[in-house]
Amino acid sequence: MSEMIHTRRLILRRPAPCDWEAARAFSMSERSAGLGGPHTLGKSWRTFASELGHWEIFGYGMWAVTLRGEDTAIGLVGPWTPPDWPETEIGWMILADDLEGTGIATEAAKAAITHAWDVLKWDTIVNYIAPGNTRSIRLAEKLGAVLDPDAPQPKPDEHTLVYRHTKPEAEA
Amino acid sequence: MIPVLIPVLTTDRLTLRAPRIEDFAAYAGFRASPRTVTVGGPFNEREAFQQLCAILGHWHLRGFGRWMIADRDTDAPMGIVGLYYPEGWPEPELAWSVFDGAEGKGIAYEAALAARAHAYDALHMPPLASLVDPSNARSVALARRMGCTPEGTYDHPDHGTLHIWRHSKEERPS
Repeated sequence: MSEMIHTRRLILRRPAPCDWEAARAFSMSERSAGLGGPHTLGKSWRTFASELGHWEIFGYGMWAVTLRGEDTAIGLVGPWTPPDWPETEIGWMILADDLEGTGIATEAAKAAITHAWDVLKWDTIVNYIAPGNTRSIRLAEKLGAVLDPDAPQPKPDEHTLVYRHTKPEAEA
Repeated sequence: MIPVLIPVLTTDRLTLRAPRIEDFAAYAGFRASPRTVTVGGPFNEREAFQQLCAILGHWHLRGFGRWMIADRDTDAPMGIVGLYYPEGWPEPELAWSVFDGAEGKGIAYEAALAARAHAYDALHMPPLASLVDPSNARSVALARRMGCTPEGTYDHPDHGTLHIWRHSKEERPS
């Protein structure tokens, strides 16, 4: 399975131990508030380990997003697929704090979504977003996803917004 | 990137191998049980999934880690054993747990011996520690059975005071 995606400005690659520092800085800061943060060092490390492990288990997972010509992870975007979740999710964490307005997150997420349709052959793609995570909601809407109030919920203990993407028509 | 090769160990009754998604139901069941209270549990499925993935990622980050203990004949998952060294841990720990139904059969002992031998023979590690909650009588008994000696306590930021049991390098049951 492919372990790299190239876009106009970005390279998405399998995350590696060298991405720990970027992941740690994000996870332990207020910027992870939309994901329940800031987290402790131990929790941050275990979460990062799980990103690496997801690839080991499934052969795919969240991509480390890097700018072409640099190898620092500025985001993590892509599949996160616990077996008990009702649908296949594309999630994201924007690690760098200066991407607002650059369209980088959109470009990365679009590439991950296209890969999920075309390579992973997914039938559905949703984004699970905590209510109040306005940055993620904006990104989902920018990507053309639509809030689906009737979608099955992934987390029994908390309400989650489900943004649904529409599968493009198969091209001949 | 080259995937980490997680070695497979075999004992009389067991295979120690990389966890797989097929193990998730058994693993999540254990993590949801009251037996994980001493390590911050019980955990829901979302947390258990992340923890299972993190077991694999630990191998990438450290070059060693924990295995799924599986029945050597049926491959059924029975527990987790191996070296655990996340951020916040004082040193690499030889950690073990067996799922409900696999207790009381010497499974953890057999698996932990194999994991410890691997740590010494393949990784050349110094005498290992196991961190045990003093209320966990089964683990205390296993530490003693493995020849460990008590060596004070470690105040874990999340799990409270844990007792350090030090493994010897000399004592090697055959």
